[in-house]
Amino acid sequence: MTTGITCKRMIVAGLLCTGLAVPVGVYAIGEPPPSASQSAPARETWQKEFDSVCSRSQDAMSFSEEELATLIKRCDVLLPQIEKLDETRKKVYMGRLRMCRGLYAYVLESKRNEKK
Amino acid sequence: MLTCSNRRGTKKNDRGRFLLTLACGVFLLAGVASAQFFLPPPPPAQPSDYGKVILDTDASKSGPGAVVFDHWLHRSKFTCRLCHVDIGFAMAAKGTGIRADSNRQGFHCGACHDGKKLFGGKPLFAACSDGPGGKQCDRCHSLGKNGVREYEYRAYTAKFPKAHYGIDWQAAEAAGIVKPVDFVEGVSIKKTKIESREDFSIKAGVTWVHPVFFSHEKHSIWNGCELCHPEIFPTAKKSAVQYTMFSNIEGRHCGACHLKVAFPLNNCQMCHPRAPAWAQQ
Repeated sequence: MTTGITCKRMIVAGLLCTGLAVPVGVYAIGEPPPSASQSAPARETWQKEFDSVCSRSQDAMSFSEEELATLIKRCDVLLPQIEKLDETRKKVYMGRLRMCRGLYAYVLESKRNEKK
Repeated sequence: MLTCSNRRGTKKNDRGRFLLTLACGVFLLAGVASAQFFLPPPPPAQPSDYGKVILDTDASKSGPGAVVFDHWLHRSKFTCRLCHVDIGFAMAAKGTGIRADSNRQGFHCGACHDGKKLFGGKPLFAACSDGPGGKQCDRCHSLGKNGVREYEYRAYTAKFPKAHYGIDWQAAEAAGIVKPVDFVEGVSIKKTKIESREDFSIKAGVTWVHPVFFSHEKHSIWNGCELCHPEIFPTAKKSAVQYTMFSNIEGRHCGACHLKVAFPLNNCQMCHPRAPAWAQQ
């Protein structure tokens, strides 16, 4: 009798935990959460632009010179916005932007060298 | 006259031999001295100490003591790119500016160690969440404290394939023993899978050294593109920059990683596959 009640309680607790896990943002590293749009905090405009520009670094080699030049310009436009952030965020995102822009400039330079 | 001339010739020859011997001696000594100076420094005797980073901005002066960061533990779980690009850990000492409040804000260590993210089914402890003297502090602030670390190198890596020195991480990944994660929600950007880059060989500057085999594929999967280009390898223009063992030993180029974390430069055959076995130190 007692065991049956305990089992039911455990099932209910388990179901509650499963239901609560997503809204409180508990998810495994390496996998997107079950509902990314719900659990991920709202991204600011500069961050959306940052994601959009720097999400293409893996494909840099496949871009034309014009596309690379545009991406570099977009990085340059982002820089003053990132400079306004608080100290830690500024440091982290300036570093990421520097690497991302640097890669596009590197690929652009190598493409121009290939032509010579 | 003849005898006299011969004697004079012998004296000259003796002086010549002496000078030649002296020059050879000086060159030999200079060679030995420069070899001592320019040979890759041996890695620590214990592979567990290789890649160990002591983070001590001001924690040992006023706080819970210096942090001991073990690369072997974290590299078994994450790619180099995830931490050094997405999370923003600098490659140089004191370049990141990690602070307790930056961890609490979800940056640096706190990007993963936030008490919510799960790894291996367990939530990762929240970095710097305890007050002064809290139990959690010693997990990271462990310099000089025995028995406070959760993972011990020998036990943790017991089943990992071993290389000439330390762990053979490539073999460990190929065998599925380690599966480095490359994405953290809220930090990383969703990207397309990196296109396989072609491996290539690099001709050595001297004839007696065999070419270097460079796995671009392996490096790009673990590091992404932007971790190496352009900051470590600044140009694709051939011969624009000389990549030498000297520059590597100085911690530039390959030495940026292969002097501190990735297999050490002394493991000649890992890069020069046909290097003689005696060259392996």
